[in-house]
Amino acid sequence: MAAPSTTVDVVAPRSSGSDNYLTHDKGVLSWIFTLDHKRIGVMYLCSVLTAFALGGFFALLVRTELLTPQRTIMDHDTYNQMFTLHGAIMVFLVIIPGIPAALGNIIMPLQLGAKDVAFPRLNLASYHLWIVGALFMLSSLAINAVDTGWTFYTPYSTTTSTAVVPAAFGAFILGFSSIFTGLNFIVTMHKLRPPGMTWFRLPLFCWALYSTALIQVLATPVIGITLLMMIVERTLHIGIFDPMLGGDPVLFQHFFWFYSHPAVYIMIVPAFGVIGEIIPVFSRKRIFGYKFIAVSSLAIAFLGFLVWGHHMFVSGQSVLAGTIFSAITFLIAIPTAIKVFNWITTMYKGVIHLDTPMLYALAFLWVFTIGGLTGIFLAVMSVDVHLHDTYFVVAHFHYVMMGGAITAFMGGLHYWWPKFTGKMYEEKVGRVGAALVFVGLNVTFFPQFILGSRGMPRRYYNYLPEFQPLHVLSTLGAYTLGIGFLLTAFYLYKSLKSGKTAPMNPWGGATLEWHCSSPPPYYNFHKPPVVTAGPYDGYENLMYDETISGYVPRKEKIV
Amino acid sequence: MANDDTPQNAEQPKSMQGSSEETPTIAPEDDATAPNPAFEPTEQDEPEQDEQADAVSEDPQQGHEKHEDHGLAHTMPIWMMLAVLGALMALTILTVSVTSFDLGSEGNLVVAMVIATIKAGLVVTFFMHLFWDKKFHLILFLTAVLFVILFLSMSITDRGEYQHNIDLYTNATTPAVGK
Amino acid sequence: MSESISPAIEPKPGHRVPAPAVHEDADHGGHDEHGHGAGPHLAHHFDTYQQQFDAGKLGIWLFLLTEVLFFSGLFCAYTVYRGMHPEVFVYAHYFLNTTMGAINTCVLLVSSLTAAWAVRNAQLAQRKLLVLNIAITIACACTFMVVKFFEYQHKFHDGLLPGPAFHPTEQVWELDAFKKKHPEAAEYAEKLTQLAEHKGDVSAVAGAIDLTRPVTGKFERPTEAQLEPLLKAGVIGPAAEDTTRPSKPRNAHVFFSIYFFMTGLHGIHVLAGIGVWVWLGIRANKGQFGPKYFGPIDYSALYWHLVDLVWIYLFPLLYLIH
Ligand SMILES: [Cu+2]
Repeated sequence: MAAPSTTVDVVAPRSSGSDNYLTHDKGVLSWIFTLDHKRIGVMYLCSVLTAFALGGFFALLVRTELLTPQRTIMDHDTYNQMFTLHGAIMVFLVIIPGIPAALGNIIMPLQLGAKDVAFPRLNLASYHLWIVGALFMLSSLAINAVDTGWTFYTPYSTTTSTAVVPAAFGAFILGFSSIFTGLNFIVTMHKLRPPGMTWFRLPLFCWALYSTALIQVLATPVIGITLLMMIVERTLHIGIFDPMLGGDPVLFQHFFWFYSHPAVYIMIVPAFGVIGEIIPVFSRKRIFGYKFIAVSSLAIAFLGFLVWGHHMFVSGQSVLAGTIFSAITFLIAIPTAIKVFNWITTMYKGVIHLDTPMLYALAFLWVFTIGGLTGIFLAVMSVDVHLHDTYFVVAHFHYVMMGGAITAFMGGLHYWWPKFTGKMYEEKVGRVGAALVFVGLNVTFFPQFILGSRGMPRRYYNYLPEFQPLHVLSTLGAYTLGIGFLLTAFYLYKSLKSGKTAPMNPWGGATLEWHCSSPPPYYNFHKPPVVTAGPYDGYENLMYDETISGYVPRKEKIV
Repeated sequence: MANDDTPQNAEQPKSMQGSSEETPTIAPEDDATAPNPAFEPTEQDEPEQDEQADAVSEDPQQGHEKHEDHGLAHTMPIWMMLAVLGALMALTILTVSVTSFDLGSEGNLVVAMVIATIKAGLVVTFFMHLFWDKKFHLILFLTAVLFVILFLSMSITDRGEYQHNIDLYTNATTPAVGK
Repeated sequence: MSESISPAIEPKPGHRVPAPAVHEDADHGGHDEHGHGAGPHLAHHFDTYQQQFDAGKLGIWLFLLTEVLFFSGLFCAYTVYRGMHPEVFVYAHYFLNTTMGAINTCVLLVSSLTAAWAVRNAQLAQRKLLVLNIAITIACACTFMVVKFFEYQHKFHDGLLPGPAFHPTEQVWELDAFKKKHPEAAEYAEKLTQLAEHKGDVSAVAGAIDLTRPVTGKFERPTEAQLEPLLKAGVIGPAAEDTTRPSKPRNAHVFFSIYFFMTGLHGIHVLAGIGVWVWLGIRANKGQFGPKYFGPIDYSALYWHLVDLVWIYLFPLLYLIH
């Protein structure tokens, strides 16, 4: 491909200093009421990271309690509240908005070559709703923390004495926040593409966000109405879900999982997008099977809607429905495997640079593959009867959610950190952090597969003494994870204070965000960029310039 | 791919949709009192102003609802709106009056739903402009319907399958709702 | 492909602030016949009014998508409950006021017409007609809510409330609607109730309504005309709350739960619509809408038609049960 990847109004590869989005306006209000997608993204990022710290803190409390078979640090009611809050915070406040609303908000319009998202006010509203939803959810903690598990299953959720309503209402509001983000992204990608940015020149991150947004728009309203019905059931006893009043709790599970299974793809598909960005750049090689990766995101989004009943094999669901859901669940392995194989093929014979983002991407490939394959065990109805509600399930979804989504989130955070902040973090410490997270992750969750297959049920406060060694190992792993994240927080914070100034293109990416200064100017692009090549073309036309520690266009293009 | 929505193909509006009954006016009858900033010319806008003026003088000849590509969107003629309302009213009367006939166990429900769907179709096609609108919007709407059907059909199928378990339970226990 | 990309618009933080087009670059000069500078209603990040309008339109359609799925949960609950407990719906339909539902249907349909008409007015910059049509739409919406209010008041008064608060003041066979349709059955149910209440002869009543037992003493075997409507409405038989005497069907309150939930949620959407139309009416009166900028009217009309659409299904499902 002879052409340079894009022709942009190239500013000299300088960086911050002059006007950029961080310095364009001053004052707290210029942040709270900003309509700039990058600032909204930064606010989302800070909020999500705060929530992540809180959710992680609860996780450590839960793991500490499980050090001994009996009481360790808290009573059983508090334990129930802790794992519920951990789950609810991590799902609704961290993972769902994490990649799309935080990273995506900043990066997607830049990658697209747009000046902003289609509806800046709606974008801001989405963030404000996130704050309101988070406050509601945390108010439950202040009143009498909810103890239903993040799933809010009836009839327990309609009868327990804890503060279910604020937590559920918080999740309801967070749902609308998520819908608005998704809606905004779809319209942005349809209507704000600059000249030459055809659908198949969109970076894979955009494709992933597009698929995610479709799920957000189609599935999230259902959780909205479900939680609303549950709240009304709890307050007015309307008898739709409560069996004592003629309702049907299995129906609640259908409603809940019609959203919540697609929601796991809201969490993981953006992660696929991040990995799809990192791997070609750090392999210095064009992505392999671009169209397959792009379209497989859509396929996953669609298939994700047809499988929700695999959460209900032992809930009283009929065998007929179970069989259908089980069969379709196997199909999802196909588009997922397409992605993994294509990423691996991209690395084949590439020039692999093991920088921090790439380490996270490699960690992702490892843990996500384990998480995905154990999901297939659980999709088999007969196996699920044995494994359902055991630590095997806990390990499986933590490998996917924590090992998949959070690892990719960390990878993306490190990959785009220079772009967001204009500062470089300490690369060597970054690698140590990534290694700690990877080791901690596996030490925490791999023993849980063994625990689960031996019959340790999830959510239990007491357990048989024979399970203790593996529980202790798992807790030690959790502490390692905690140290890894603390270290990461520390060096990222330090980079803001004393990090080296980031070049325009530190990693040699060809997507459009690397054509903006770091941090990007307030208006992203002075002129709409004219795109003439794909997002992963033209690495050969970039060369590393040691004086600025970043990539610059080659003077003479390789033809 | 870029069937409906590549922004670069967006055509700048040249004129408005003409209509059969009224001459569309850029300067409407009451415009003198309230200038309309939506198309108030700025200093640079003079050429456009001319174009619009041209368009106004041309439009009555074009005259029919087929010219949906003029203006930002299609303009629906008044007779059509009134006809749709008439049809909707007639169908409402029909669906009410058909209730007094017994059409078998689920016959009435089926008829009511068919009539409701025809009414919904009229609203979506004409009032909501889907007949003239981008096909992608139609696809979106049908997607919504498809997903509702998916959601309902699986939930209801499953419920039908395990209903006998619930019946066993309710018949074995005393009715729950108290006095 | 770069035909109608506008020249760079000078950045202005304040969004809808009119920003004059700045022709920076000769490359773009040839494509600028339209000379579309950013008008007063063109947001900074859009290049043309068409792009802005299309983005808004796609956005509102996606929003309608979410609305459809939002309501789908209630329709699912309705369908499941109706499929499994038809007797409750037969029972409940005698309590419903079809006239009020029909009036509200017509009112909403008219408002849908005026909303569609308002879009046309905005497109053609007919300010007075636009304000008039918006006013009629608001008036219809308010009428709808007033009728709804009286309906709710009626239901509250008659004890037709959701959940444990469900205590109908009248038994179904005492209702005029039931008596008119099934006079014999009404009389029969009345007789049984009296027997059970005043003479305390519960076992005789139970024998009379339980077809598996032989009839004892006081009653002749009931005719089908007497029995069938009562069985269908769950007043007697296995679905009844009290199997020893005529009573309401088990969990009849769930119908009213669904009824209030569905109509209530729909009513909230109507109220939201009124708010939007009032705001747009004020803006329309200021003459803010014209051929290049009528998006808000169009989008609100689409929302309003969806509210109408939901009602088109709610009406037969809740008021026209046979
Ligand atoms: Cu699932």
